[in-house]
Amino acid sequence: MADDALKAQLTTLLAACARRDQAALARLYELSAPKLFGVALRIVRREDWAEDVLQECYLKIWNHAPEYRAGLASPMTWMTSIVRNRCLDWLRRPNFEVADVDAAVANATPSTDEGPLARLERASEAAGIADCLKGLEAKQRQAIVLAFYDGLSHSELARHLREPLGTVKTWVRRGLLKLRSCLDNSR
Amino acid sequence: MKITGKPELQERLAAEYALGTLRGAARRRFERWLREDASLALAASRWQSRLAPLAEAVAPVAPPARVWRAIRDRLGASGTAKRGIWDNVAFWRALGLAASGTAGALLAATVLLAPQDPQPAPPPIVLRSPSGEIPASYLALLSDPKTQKPVLLVSAGRQSDQLWVKTLDPAIHVAGKSLELWALPKDGAPKSLGLVSAAEKAVLKLAAAADQSLAQVPALAVSLEPRGGSPTGAPTGPVLFTGPCIKYW
Repeated sequence: MADDALKAQLTTLLAACARRDQAALARLYELSAPKLFGVALRIVRREDWAEDVLQECYLKIWNHAPEYRAGLASPMTWMTSIVRNRCLDWLRRPNFEVADVDAAVANATPSTDEGPLARLERASEAAGIADCLKGLEAKQRQAIVLAFYDGLSHSELARHLREPLGTVKTWVRRGLLKLRSCLDNSR
Repeated sequence: MKITGKPELQERLAAEYALGTLRGAARRRFERWLREDASLALAASRWQSRLAPLAEAVAPVAPPARVWRAIRDRLGASGTAKRGIWDNVAFWRALGLAASGTAGALLAATVLLAPQDPQPAPPPIVLRSPSGEIPASYLALLSDPKTQKPVLLVSAGRQSDQLWVKTLDPAIHVAGKSLELWALPKDGAPKSLGLVSAAEKAVLKLAAAADQSLAQVPALAVSLEPRGGSPTGAPTGPVLFTGPCIKYW
């Protein structure tokens, strides 16, 4: 399905969810769950946890559908933000321990997987950000990509990249500023 | 730490919030600010829109079927049964949004309970009249949230305790049951306004002049009740129709 057609369909389904139409939620789930499950799995790194996150998030989506405003964000953006937020909360749970960040990141990106950046080049909605990411210094790009896809915090980034915390924070901050100016100029 | 009036700091935190590197207590605090500060919320939502397309690149993974089954079961448990729509926060919030959104545009009363539907939706219901011909009054147009079809028109003069109820669709009545009209005050429990008459036009008596009894009532609703009305004084059956209640002039 073309991106625009999917977007229009998801928007319609969210509006129907706001009217408490459970069949619309079922269809919304069918269309969006694999992508959102992929996002959650990368960040929480365990299938059973990602399943719990997904379940909670679709209930949130159902409950908050009346507040969705199509003018502010695309349906996928809105739903992705809900899932990423929940995942980031999840990482704070006391029983969540990833002793070895390096192994966790390596596991999340099996060698047979071409990796998100290669796939990014082909996703039409992401063409802008893919170009702008290329314009960043390699270290900045790596830090931002790891933070976004793998949910690494500043200190986990520092450990994984073997750099001082302050240095990593600066990469992230400068990278984000550069991304913003690139994205806003390319509109 | 206050961040209002510090656009650079706002921007930086909004970006790190969307990226996910804002963590722990700082993230919680930022979320509190988000609820209170519209410009911060806008900055955060812009950043989420900038970064979210990155998620496009994540390989989709089909979740096991048990996930959907669990969602469906939990919907069934919380969406119907005894709790009902009165306990549903989203329902109240939707009502509030619809009511406050329309209250601003008084010249024409547009009724939209659900958020704007991008699909060709039925045209909004517009009551137009030269202002001289409608006396200062309260107006409510109740509709069926599923079909968006208007079913009841309710009005009262501001100084009057007579509530005029016009039934636009006689098919709403259910044999052996009563339809009860409720005021949904901004704060507090629904208050009964009386039963919807089977006649096309009827007048109910308000407890006090509309300026007292309806001023703090952003919306009205109709519930399905046993014959003679709710035995408890609170809605006991499903809510069939709702609509914003607006002060006209």
